[in-house]
Amino acid sequence: MEGSVEETAKAVSNLVVDSPVDPSAPEETISKNALKKAMKNKQKEEERRRKEEEKAKQAAAKASSQSQKPAADDEDMDPTQYFENRLKYLATKKADGKNPYPHKFFVTLTILEYIEKFESLNNGEHLESETVSLAGRIMSKRASSSKLFFYDLHGAGAKVQVMTDASKSGMDEVEFSKFHSSVKRGDIVGVTGFPGKTKRGELSIFPRSFVVLSHCLHMMPRQKAAPGADTTNVKKTDIWVPGSTRNPEAYILKDQETRYRQRYLDLMLNMEVRQIFKTRSKIISYIRKFLDDLDFLEVETPMMNMIAGGAAARPFVTHHNDLNMKLYMRIAPELYLKELVVGGLERVYEIGKQFRNEGIDLTHNPEFTTCEFYMAFADYNDLMELTEKMLSGMVKEITGGYKIKYHANGLDKDPIEIDFTPPFRRIDMIEELDKVANLQIPKDLSSDEANKYLADVCLKFDIKCPPPLTTARLLDKLVGHFLEETCVNPTYIINHPEIMSPLAKWHRSKPSLTERFELFINKHELCNAYTELNDPVVQRQRFADQLKDRQSGDDEAMALDETFCTALEYGLPPTGGWGLGIDRLSMLFTDSQNIKEVLLFPAMKPQDEPCAKVAATSEV
Amino acid sequence: MEALKVWTSLSSSLPISFRHLIHTRHRITSLTFLRRCSSTTASASTRNRRSSSSSTSTSDREAIRAIRIKKVEELRGKGLEPYAYNWDRTHSANQLQEIYKSLPNGEASDGENDRVSVAGRIVARRAFGKLAFLTLRDDSGTIQLYCEKERLVNDQFEQLKNHVDIGDILGASGSMKRTEKGELSVLVNSFAILTKSLLPLPDKYHGLTDVDKRYRQRYVDMIANPEVADVFRKRAKIVSEIRKTVESLGFLEVETPVLQGAAGGAEARPFVTYHNSLRRDLYLRIATELHLKRMLVGGFEKVYEIGRIFRNEGISTRHNPEFTTIEMYEAFSDYQSMMNMTEEIVTRCALAVHGKLTIDYQGVEINLERPWRRETMHNLVKETTGIDFNELGNDLKAAKEVTLRGLGVGLENKDKSAIEASPSLGNLLNEVFEITVEPKLLQPTFVLDYPIEISPLAKPHRRRAGLTERFELFICGRELANAFSELTDPLDQRSRLEEQVRQHNEKRAAHVAETSGEEENLKKNEDNSYEVTLDDDFLTALEYGMPPASGMGLGIDRLVMLLTNSASIRDVIAFPVLKIQQ
Repeated sequence: MEGSVEETAKAVSNLVVDSPVDPSAPEETISKNALKKAMKNKQKEEERRRKEEEKAKQAAAKASSQSQKPAADDEDMDPTQYFENRLKYLATKKADGKNPYPHKFFVTLTILEYIEKFESLNNGEHLESETVSLAGRIMSKRASSSKLFFYDLHGAGAKVQVMTDASKSGMDEVEFSKFHSSVKRGDIVGVTGFPGKTKRGELSIFPRSFVVLSHCLHMMPRQKAAPGADTTNVKKTDIWVPGSTRNPEAYILKDQETRYRQRYLDLMLNMEVRQIFKTRSKIISYIRKFLDDLDFLEVETPMMNMIAGGAAARPFVTHHNDLNMKLYMRIAPELYLKELVVGGLERVYEIGKQFRNEGIDLTHNPEFTTCEFYMAFADYNDLMELTEKMLSGMVKEITGGYKIKYHANGLDKDPIEIDFTPPFRRIDMIEELDKVANLQIPKDLSSDEANKYLADVCLKFDIKCPPPLTTARLLDKLVGHFLEETCVNPTYIINHPEIMSPLAKWHRSKPSLTERFELFINKHELCNAYTELNDPVVQRQRFADQLKDRQSGDDEAMALDETFCTALEYGLPPTGGWGLGIDRLSMLFTDSQNIKEVLLFPAMKPQDEPCAKVAATSEV
Repeated sequence: MEALKVWTSLSSSLPISFRHLIHTRHRITSLTFLRRCSSTTASASTRNRRSSSSSTSTSDREAIRAIRIKKVEELRGKGLEPYAYNWDRTHSANQLQEIYKSLPNGEASDGENDRVSVAGRIVARRAFGKLAFLTLRDDSGTIQLYCEKERLVNDQFEQLKNHVDIGDILGASGSMKRTEKGELSVLVNSFAILTKSLLPLPDKYHGLTDVDKRYRQRYVDMIANPEVADVFRKRAKIVSEIRKTVESLGFLEVETPVLQGAAGGAEARPFVTYHNSLRRDLYLRIATELHLKRMLVGGFEKVYEIGRIFRNEGISTRHNPEFTTIEMYEAFSDYQSMMNMTEEIVTRCALAVHGKLTIDYQGVEINLERPWRRETMHNLVKETTGIDFNELGNDLKAAKEVTLRGLGVGLENKDKSAIEASPSLGNLLNEVFEITVEPKLLQPTFVLDYPIEISPLAKPHRRRAGLTERFELFICGRELANAFSELTDPLDQRSRLEEQVRQHNEKRAAHVAETSGEEENLKKNEDNSYEVTLDDDFLTALEYGMPPASGMGLGIDRLVMLLTNSASIRDVIAFPVLKIQQ
C-alpha cells in the first residue's frame, strides 16, 4: 500500500515540479500569490521557520518527521509528508470525538442548478433572505486575509465561487482562521448560505455554515503552466461539445499513465473528460432508443460459453469449479442472438461487452463494447439504409450537425472533417480492387489459382502478409492497402467473398461472394453486417472450410457450434444481422486517437510487476 | 387459433403413419388432420421405420431431416430458393387482429387498403382438397392463412401441398377475410417459402417435461411455448423501466471493467482467467461497487451500471454463475433516501409489467403498495425468536448458549453448527436472522442496521455503535437488494478490508490443514481456496476523498423472477449455465 500511495503522490508531484508558474497567466498568478501571501501572514514566524527546516530535511533525506504537527498548509511540501500530516489531522479530529466523515449533507441545489437560478443577479447584489446548500469539491483556495477566504467549488461539471467571511460564519476570528487553514484543496465540502454576486460580477455563495464532508489526503495536482491555464481550461471545457476537437496535451493532468490508472483524478482535473463519458452514454442511449422505436427487444446472452463462436478471435479461458467445466468468455453474441430469432423473437439486440485475448494497442482493449442486432425479414440492403439513418441521426442529435472534426493525423496536424451526411459511399470489394490496383482477380476465389494470384499481387506491391497465406488473409491485406485507406468519410465496402465471411449468406446474383458490408470511417471498421446465412447445410459446409484454414495454421478461423447449426435446422427466417463497435464510435465523437480515452478503466500493464520477471517468463 | 390448439394438443405425438391420410379427400366438415410431413415423407420414413422399430425419436428426426433436405433440392431444381433473402411485411399478425377486429364472420375485405403481407412460422395446418388452412405465428401472435387453390397464383397450391411443412417460415400476401367460424384470415394470393425448416417442431408436452432440453435449446422451447418468449419481453421491459426511472432522476450510465486485477466489492469466489499478452491472471468481477465508487471520487454524483456479474459458485434455482445487477451510487445521500429509491424502482417495474401492485408469486399474494415495512435486524430477530441481542452483552460464548437454548430443539444440524462457528456477535446475529427471520419475510421488508462485522463497505451507524447504516430488501424470503450509506473514511475502510483478507486467509489455512493430503477434496469442496487481495487502487481513490453517498445493488434476475412469477432463475435467463451433458 505504502508503495502505491507514494507512487501516486510522486506522479502527482512530478506534475507540479514540471510546471513552473507562468507569470503571463494573470488571474492564476494573482490567486497563487495571494494564497501564498495569506499563508505566510497567518502563520507565526516560528512555524514558518520550522517549515523551512523541514523542507530542507526532506530534500536531504525525504524522510518523514514523526514529530511534526499537522498545521502546515503548504503545497510545496513533499507529498509523503503532506499525506502524513493529513492523517494526523484526521487522527486529532477523531481523538476529539468528532466524526470527520459526516453521514449526510442535505443539498438543496446542484451547482449547475444554482448557476441557472442565480446568474441573473446584478453585480454586488446579495439575497440574504435566501438559504441554499451546495456541496462539491474545492479545486482552488485563495485567502484574502485571515477573515476572508475564496474557494472554487466544483460539482456535476460546473463551478461556483464560495466567498466565506468570518463575520458571517458564526465563529470568532481565531476559530474561523484556524478552521479554514485546515480546509485543503481537494476537500469535499458542504456550504449553506445565501446567493449573491461580487462587485466584479462573479456569482458566489456566501456561507453561514461550512462543513468538510470528506478529506483529500493527497496533494492535488496543480494547474499546469500553460499560459492562462486554469481559467482557459475551465472555460474551454465548459463549451466542449462532442464532434469538436480536444487537446489532451493542454490538460492540467497530462500524464497518460496517471490519467488512465487513476481516472478519478483525470475526471476531477480535466473537465472535458467527464464530457467524453457523457458522450459515450449519449451514443448508447441513442442506439437503444433508435432500436426500441423499431420494436427491437433488448436481450442478454451469456458472456461465458462452452464454445467461443460468432467471430474469429482468441478467447479468454476460465474454469467453473463446482461444475468442473471449462468456459470461454464470449468473443461475439452472434450465434445466441440468431438462436433467439429462430425462437421467434424477430428483432433482438444486445449491447454488451465482448472479450478477446489479444494485444493491447490504440484501437484494442481486451474487453470492449458492441451492439449487435438481428432483424428478421430484412437483408443487407435494408441494413445499409438503417445504418445511415442511425449514424447520421446520431451525429446530428449529439453534435448538432452532420460533420465532426477529428485529429486523424495526430494532434500536431490540422484535424480532418468527417461528413456523415447520408447516403454513404458504397464500394464493391472485388470490383474496386480490380479497378484500383488494375487487377483481374480470378472469379473462383476458393481455387489455388486465386490464392497464387493474390500472393503474387501482394509480393508485387510489397504488401506484407504474415503466414499462413490463405486467400482470405491475402485479400484482407489487399483491401486494407487499397480500399480501407480511401474510406475517410463513412463508406461501405460490400460483397465480401464467401471465404472471408463464414456466417454471411451467399450473394443472390454474384457467385462466390456474400451479401455483406463493412462500414469504414476514418479508415477503421466500425460496423460489420450481412444477410445472415440461414441454410444449415451450407453453414455446416462453411464451418468445415474454416476447419481446413484452422488446420493450415490460421488459428483465427471459426469453430463449429453444433447447437447453433441445429438451431438453423429448425429454421432461421431471412434475417439481417449487424454489429457496431461502440468504443470506436465514441472515439470519433470525442476526437480520441486512443481507445483508452473512451474507457473509464482501460486495461493496463501491471504496475507492480518487475521487468525482470517478465523477461524471465518470456524465456521459458 | 383452433388449428393451433389442435396442433399443440396432438402435434408430434402423432405417429408418422398418419401420413396415409394426406391424399384422402375430405370435405371441410370431415375429419381434420395434421400433417407433419408432406407426401414425399411417406416412402422415406417407411424405409427408416424398419431400422428403428423401437421408434426412437432420433431416427424419426433424421428421416424427416433427409426428406426435407430433398425438398430443398427439389425447390432449387425448380428455380425457387428455399432460403429467401428478405420479405416485405406490411403488418404483424397482431396488428391485423387489431385492425380487423370488427370484421364480421363470413365477410371479406379486399379493397385497395386491404392488400396485406405477413410472415412467420407455420405452426399448424389443415388441408381439404382444394383448400388449406395454415396457422402462421410471428413475434406478435398468430393469424390464419386461408389458401384456396383457385386463388393462388401459378401452381402454388401444389407447392403448398408438397413442399411446405409445419415449422417452415412463410411469407404470404393477400386480402383479409373472416371465416364463418370467426377466424380472421389472410386470403392468400401468393406465398413464398422464406426458410425451409429441416427438423420437426417438438411436441409441447414433451418439451415441457424435458426441462433440461428446454434450457439447452431455448429456441425450441420458445417455438413450442410462446409464453416463454413473454418472460424475455417482460425482462426487457423491466430493465428498460429501471433505466428510465434512474435516468429521469439524473443518473448517468457507465461501464466499468469485467476483467480486473483484483476482484473486490463482495465476498465470493471469482472466476480466474489469463491474459496472454499481459502475461497475468485476471479476475472476472464479482461486483461493480469499487469502480463505481471511484466515479464518485471523480466527481460524477449520480452513476449507475447495469451489467453482468460473475461468481464461481454452485448453480441452483436462485444462482447462475453469471447474473445481472444494477448498482447505483448517489453523492450526498444516505441509506434512508436509497430506501425510497428502491421502492420507486421496484413499484415502477411492477406497474410496467402488471399494471398493479398486488402480484402473485408462486401462489403467494405479494403487496407492493408503498411504504414498505422498515425494521431493524435486531427487532426482527427479537420479534421472531424472543432473543434480544441488545441485552446479550459482549460475551460471544454466552450469547451462543442463549441463542441455542432460545431456538430450541427444532434447529437443523447445519444451522446449529453455523451458530457455533460464528466468529463474532455480529455474525451470530446474522446467522440467527438468516435461519429464523429470512424465510418469513414474504411481503416487502427493508431490514435495517446490519452488524459491522458483516458489512465491510458500509458506514458505521450514526447513533448505534457496532452497527452500520445498511439495509437489505427481502421479498418472498429472498434478498433482492442490498444498500448502504457508503463508508468514506479511507482508514476505516483499509482496516476493514485488511480484516476481511485476514479472516479469509485464516479460514483458508484452517481448511488446508483439515484436508491436507486429500488433494481431491481440497479442490472439490473447498469454498475458501481462492485468494482474496486488497484493492489498493480503490483505497487510494478514497484517500482523495469520496463525498458522503449511498449505494444500492439490486439483482435484476431475481426481480424478473418475482415479476414474471418464475420459480427458477433459469426461467428468466435465456441461456442458463447447465451441467455438462452426459
